[in-house]
Amino acid sequence: MRKILIVDDSTTIRKMVRASLRQLDDAEFVEAASGLAAIEQIALGPVALIVLDLNMPDMHGMDVLKFVRGHRASKDVPVMVLTTRGDDSSRDTALAAGATLYFTKPFTPPVLLAGAKDLLSGVGPQA
Amino acid sequence: MSPSELPAGDEPSSDFLNDYFAECDEHLMGVRRLLLRLEQSIGRGDINTSVLDELFRHFHSLKGISGMVELRPAEELSHRAEDYLRALRRHDVRLSPEGVNALFDATQLFEQVVNARRSGGVIPAIDAAVATIAGLVSARPADLAAPVPGAPAGAPLTPHWRFLFAPSRELVGRGIRVDLIRTRLTALGEIIHAAPHVTDSGMIAFEFIVATGADAETIAALQQDGVTAERLPDASVVSDPAAAVDPEWPAVGEPSPVAGSVAPSHVVRVDLTRLDDLMRNVGDLVISRARLGETLARIESHVPAGEWRAVQENALVIDRQLRTLREAIMRVRLVPIGEIFRRMPFVVRDLARETGKRVRLQLQGQSTEIDKFLIERMMDPVLHLVRNAVSHGIETADERVAAGKRPEATITLSASTAGEIVTLEVADDGRGIDVEAVRSRAAGAGLDPATAGDAAGLLELLCAPGFSTRDESDRASGRGVGMAVVKSTVEELGGVLRMETAAGAGTRFIVELPVTLAITDALIAKVGAETFAAPQAAVREVIAVPLSAIRALEQNEITPYRGGVLPLVRLSRLFGLADAARDTLHVLVVGTGGSALGLAVDRVVGQREIVVRAATDPLVKVAGISGATDLGDGRVVLIIDPAALARQMRGRPAGVVDGIAGGGGR
Repeated sequence: MRKILIVDDSTTIRKMVRASLRQLDDAEFVEAASGLAAIEQIALGPVALIVLDLNMPDMHGMDVLKFVRGHRASKDVPVMVLTTRGDDSSRDTALAAGATLYFTKPFTPPVLLAGAKDLLSGVGPQA
Repeated sequence: MSPSELPAGDEPSSDFLNDYFAECDEHLMGVRRLLLRLEQSIGRGDINTSVLDELFRHFHSLKGISGMVELRPAEELSHRAEDYLRALRRHDVRLSPEGVNALFDATQLFEQVVNARRSGGVIPAIDAAVATIAGLVSARPADLAAPVPGAPAGAPLTPHWRFLFAPSRELVGRGIRVDLIRTRLTALGEIIHAAPHVTDSGMIAFEFIVATGADAETIAALQQDGVTAERLPDASVVSDPAAAVDPEWPAVGEPSPVAGSVAPSHVVRVDLTRLDDLMRNVGDLVISRARLGETLARIESHVPAGEWRAVQENALVIDRQLRTLREAIMRVRLVPIGEIFRRMPFVVRDLARETGKRVRLQLQGQSTEIDKFLIERMMDPVLHLVRNAVSHGIETADERVAAGKRPEATITLSASTAGEIVTLEVADDGRGIDVEAVRSRAAGAGLDPATAGDAAGLLELLCAPGFSTRDESDRASGRGVGMAVVKSTVEELGGVLRMETAAGAGTRFIVELPVTLAITDALIAKVGAETFAAPQAAVREVIAVPLSAIRALEQNEITPYRGGVLPLVRLSRLFGLADAARDTLHVLVVGTGGSALGLAVDRVVGQREIVVRAATDPLVKVAGISGATDLGDGRVVLIIDPAALARQMRGRPAGVVDGIAGGGGR
C-alpha cells in the first residue's frame, strides 16, 4: 500500500481531495489537520505522496515543505502543494522550496488525480 | 468544477456541503470572537497582530472552502475581508470603527449567504459590502503609523518551559498524537513556539516552548505520554524563534480556537437519544423500586422484626444508590449555559448598531449547568428577552444622558443554580416598563387594562398573545417568538417567568427552570378516589385549611393566608369528583404575590420521586395536566401543572374552566 498524506486544516477540503484521488490503485490515505500532525505522520512511516495546504494555523505549509525536504526519510517524497487562490505569489517560493506540483483551490479533481498518478508512477512534473 | 464533478463515490456532494456548513459555523464563531477583540484595539495604536493573523486565517480558510463548493458570493466576501486585514497588517490603513463594522457586516452577510445556500433561499446581494471594504482598503492615511513591533507581548514573568514530544506508533495506538499534546499544552499556558525537531539520532520530535505557570507536578504528568520537559532560564526567550517563511503572515499564530481546557481524549461525544434511553431505563428502575416498596409494606407484618430490619436496610441502600445513579446520569446531560450566552454579544452588538444605542453586555454564571434539552428550548426565548431589552428596554444615549444616567446602558445576563432550580435573568438599566402605555395598548387589544395592577399582572398583559408595545412589529424583536411564546415555553418546561420593573431604573426578567426533566420530586395528593402528583418545585408550601376557614367571595373561594387572602381552587370540583367528607383540606400553595393560588386537595399522602411521561399528544393533552406517571402499583397517576392551572383560574369563577371540567383520571 502506498501511503498518501493529505494535509489541510479543513475537513471539507481533506474529504474532497480524498474523493478526487480515490481511483488511485493500491493507495492508503492518511490525513493531518495541522503541519505538526503531518510531520508526525512522516515520522511514523514512509509516505508515497503528500498533498499539502499552505495556510494552516500552527505551522505554515512552507515550513512543513522545508522540513520534508530537509529530512533524510522524506527528502524525495513528491509534494503537491494545494493552496487557496490568491497566494499566487507563493507559487515560485513553493516550487523553489521543493514543491513538486502546485495547484490552487478551487481545484479540478481530474487534474489533481492526473498529477498524483504521474508523481506516483515516477513521472516528473511537466515543467 | 464543482463538488458534483468529483468522482462518483459513496459520498454525495451534499455530504461535502454539510461539512462545509459545519466548518463555516466554526470559522464564523472564531471570526466574531476575534472581531470583538479587534474592536477593543480601535484608537489604541497597537493592534494585537496575532488577532489579525488568526482572523486572516479564518477568512482565508472560508475563502478556500467557499470556492470549493462554488459559493462565489461567500468566496468574494471572505476575499475582501482578507484584503482589509492584509492592509491593516501592513499598516497601509489604520484600524477604524468603520473598518470593524464593515468586517462585522461582511461576516453577517457571509452567514446569510451560507444560510441561503443551506436552505435553498435567495442569496443576498453583496455588492454594497464589497464596495465598502474596497473603499476602506484604498483610503490610505497620509501619515502611516509607525510599524508595530512584531514580537508577541509575552508576560515576562511567566516561566518558560521547553517540551519535547517524540511521536511513536505505540503512542498513536494509545491515541496520543502531536495535536493532542499541543492541545494539552495550550491548556497549560501560551505556546510561544512549536516546531518539528530532528534529534541527534535522526528521529523526529516536536519542540514546544510554552509560557506557563503550571506546577511541576502537572508538567511531570505529561511524561507518561512521551513528553519531556525542562524549564528554561528566564532570560533565554527573546522572541519567537520560529523562522517565519511568509514574512507577511508568520506561521506561528495563536493556538487553535478549538483548544479547550479539556484534552479531547477525555471527552466522548454521545448521541442525546442514547442518554434518553439510559434515563428511561433508570426511570423504569425507579418505578420497579416503588413497586418493591409497596410489596414490602404489604408483607411487613408477616416477617419477623429482625429479618424485616435487614430487608428494610437493604431497600434503603438501593434507594440511595438509585438516586445517585439518576443524579449521575442527569449530570451527563448537563452542559454549561454558556452555549446560550455565547451568541448574545453578537446579537447585542448588531442590534445596538442598528438602533444606534450604546450597550454593554455583562455575562454572569456562564458555567452554570443545565440539561441539554433545556438549552435547546431556551435559546430562542432568551434571545427574545435580550433583543427586547436592547430594542425596548434601554434608551438611546441622549435620552439616558438627559435622564442623568451614563450614556452606555448595561444589560446583564446571568445564570445561577439553587438546588434543582436554575435561574436565568435578563436585566437592563433602561427606562422600565411604561405602565400607562401597556394599559392603553391592552385596552386597544381588547384586554383588561386593570390587570396591570402589579408586576405579575403587567407581565401577563405583555405575554398575552397579540400584544406588542410597538405599533410596527420591529425587525429586532419580531422574529417569530413573542413574549407569549417565551412564557409558554418556560411553563412547558415546568418553569416560572417573573418580571420586576421600576420606572426609570430598568426591567428584569427572571426565568426559573428545573435543572432537568424526566424524573422529579413530587407531592402525591388524594382527591376523592383519585390520586394526583404535583411537581414539588412548583409548590411553595402545603397548608391545612379547616372548611370553616373557607369563605365564598362572589363565585370564588378564599381563605386567610399570611395576613392576606388566598384564592382557592378545589381540584375535586375542577375535575368533577366528589367533595371529601372531611372538615380539613390540604392546600398546595403555588405562585407568589398577586398570582398565588391554593389548590385544595383532600390530603397530601406523601412525597416521592416520579418519572414524568409528558402528555404531548394533542388528543390527550388537557390544560392543567402536564403528563402522567406510574407510581409503581401499575396505576397511572396524572401530574397536575400548577402554573397552567393558576393561569386558567385567574379571574374566572371556580369550577368553570374550559377544557378541564369533567376531565378526571384515566
